[in-house]
Amino acid sequence: MAVNAIDQTRRMLSLVTYLKDRPGARVEEVARAFGISADELISDLNVLPMCGTSFRGGDLLEIDTDGERIWWRNAEALGSDTAQPLRLAADEATALLVAARAVATLPGLRESDRDALQRAVAKLETAAGESAGASSRLSVTFESEGGVFADVDRAIAERRRLWIRYYSPARDELTEREVDPIRLFAVGHTYVEAWCRLSEARRTFRLDRVAEIKLLDERSDPPPIEPRDLSAGLVQPAATDPEVVVEVGPGGRWVAEYYPHDSAEELPDGGLRITLRTPDPASLRRLALRLGPDGRITAPQELAESARDAARKALAAYGA
Amino acid sequence: MAIAKAERLMNLALCLLGARRPLTKRELRASIEAYVEAYGSGEAAAYGSGEAAAYGSGEAAAYGSGEAAAYGSGGTATSAYGSGEAAVRGPGGAGAALGRGEGATGTEESFSRMFERDKDDLRELGLVIDTVENLDGETAYVARRDSNRLPPVTLDAAEATALGLAARVWQQARLAAAASGALQKLHAAGGMPPGAIPEQGGERQLSTLEPHIPAREAAFEPLMLACRDRRPVAFDYRKSNAAHSEKRHVEPWTLECWRGHWYLAGWDRERQAERVFRLSRITGPVRSRAAAFTVPVPDQVTVRETVERWAGEGATSTARIRLRAGAGYPLRARALHTRELGDGWDELEIPYGHGLDAWLVEFGPDVVALEPAELRADVIERLRAVAQG
Repeated sequence: MAVNAIDQTRRMLSLVTYLKDRPGARVEEVARAFGISADELISDLNVLPMCGTSFRGGDLLEIDTDGERIWWRNAEALGSDTAQPLRLAADEATALLVAARAVATLPGLRESDRDALQRAVAKLETAAGESAGASSRLSVTFESEGGVFADVDRAIAERRRLWIRYYSPARDELTEREVDPIRLFAVGHTYVEAWCRLSEARRTFRLDRVAEIKLLDERSDPPPIEPRDLSAGLVQPAATDPEVVVEVGPGGRWVAEYYPHDSAEELPDGGLRITLRTPDPASLRRLALRLGPDGRITAPQELAESARDAARKALAAYGA
Repeated sequence: MAIAKAERLMNLALCLLGARRPLTKRELRASIEAYVEAYGSGEAAAYGSGEAAAYGSGEAAAYGSGEAAAYGSGGTATSAYGSGEAAVRGPGGAGAALGRGEGATGTEESFSRMFERDKDDLRELGLVIDTVENLDGETAYVARRDSNRLPPVTLDAAEATALGLAARVWQQARLAAAASGALQKLHAAGGMPPGAIPEQGGERQLSTLEPHIPAREAAFEPLMLACRDRRPVAFDYRKSNAAHSEKRHVEPWTLECWRGHWYLAGWDRERQAERVFRLSRITGPVRSRAAAFTVPVPDQVTVRETVERWAGEGATSTARIRLRAGAGYPLRARALHTRELGDGWDELEIPYGHGLDAWLVEFGPDVVALEPAELRADVIERLRAVAQG
């Protein structure tokens, strides 16, 4: 297991403070408080007896464990200076404050939670002192639809089914469906992951595309499924999805920023040839139309033709 | 096997925190087994008068670059960040003048580099290490109790849960680690109710929400540090519609994440104006530059407004369109007025800002732009481009 020395040092410094006030602390409890596994904790405990205020003076930390409880034999001898609670670093204060402020401004959050976040932020700002200063240089906004958010939140908490009217940009249509919500998450926009009773499959819905929502009395009963792993990004095309090739000029380079793609090859005019995969190529007709003079779809042929066809039909309405 | 870095850092921290008086580098070296093992205790070597001069100036500002940076060119004040590249200077002029052998100088130098890096690492963890002159006129280091102590802080269960959630939000390694480090400090200080960090998928959740802040852009971390430390930066940047990137020299002010993308606001030195940069358009590495900001940082930085303008959300007037019944829900959601025309079409008045033409074209034959004439012409031009494919 790769151990980051900086993080381990940070943790061990807090561990020393923690253990000083808690003789005979239980391995399990300490690991939980520190958000680490018991094995990680034991590996820290193996390092600590090699640490001290000076190895020459023989004043090493006599910390040992029988695997269940942890004892520090010479805590008093080393004095309180070594184990006093340590101030927060700028990055530490920033990480918590920026995240807490971002969540606290989410529309639709329960008021009790918003209050708790705001109180925690205020206390943390005071405790962090000047370390809190740099946190103003980072900020995050989550987008959310307050009313929809509150209903989904309630449905999950009360295990109730939802009825939604949902907008699908790919087909430019609204569909009505009943869904069993699984979780609510925010990555820039806010989404609900749910079991869709209409398609009998897991679906992710963006809250700002929910045109209408109702809490139903039926109990939500999603089949047991692993939550999606979001770390790789929201859109994760499958290797078997059909391939689409888009050629863009310099003005259409943004496509590579917004669409996960397999490759983006530089073209001589400063443009890109972007190859991407999607389960539903027809959904990219919108993209082809949007690009206008800045790019076009070159494959598959039918998709390129359907975009041209749509444009011709639209032009007819202008008598152009 | 060499002693692990975490053990070495831990010992340096405990030594500094436990000492009743400032310790010189020589004393620290002799007290920490990892240094002794790697470089010897240093006591027998030709040590002494040159040393204090060699490691004084520039030192206090040296942190956070993450690169090997050993400062101290024998008394000359060195800028902490050189030219932004790893600055490794030495050997200390004074030390060399004392006639130490090459080997001793080399060892001395590597030890000093390691020592400086270790000190920087501890400062990153929040330790305040002051550099002072001791009674003998030597440079010495001290981690004062009062400046390193966390003030008393007590959180109730709801507040602790709130922070527990905030700590899990970051999908960026450095900030994720910093967030858990902060919680650990609060726990160690006794400020959290017992068992308040819910494990993954924990017991009590805040609302039912899982917020995530992604930061996949490579430029994120160096820019975050540069904003934090108020260091100018240089990077290659490609504007959204430009074929090639251009070198930009920027005094970075703030980073803002909106709709999952990160933006930097700062002072563009060439353009002598405030600019907003999208991090995903930064090509290549971000380099730190020496010297301070030349322009004061404004109290209010407006990243959001600029980005919204890019996204075409700053409407300046209104437009009239015809929309097929049942189509174009997002257009309807923004409409100021909607009138049924009765022939399967509706007429809408919608906000008109930058980018509306491209958006309308997305709806193909389901939308007809009516007014203003400029919008109508833009839409027709775009449609022609697509039709000719």
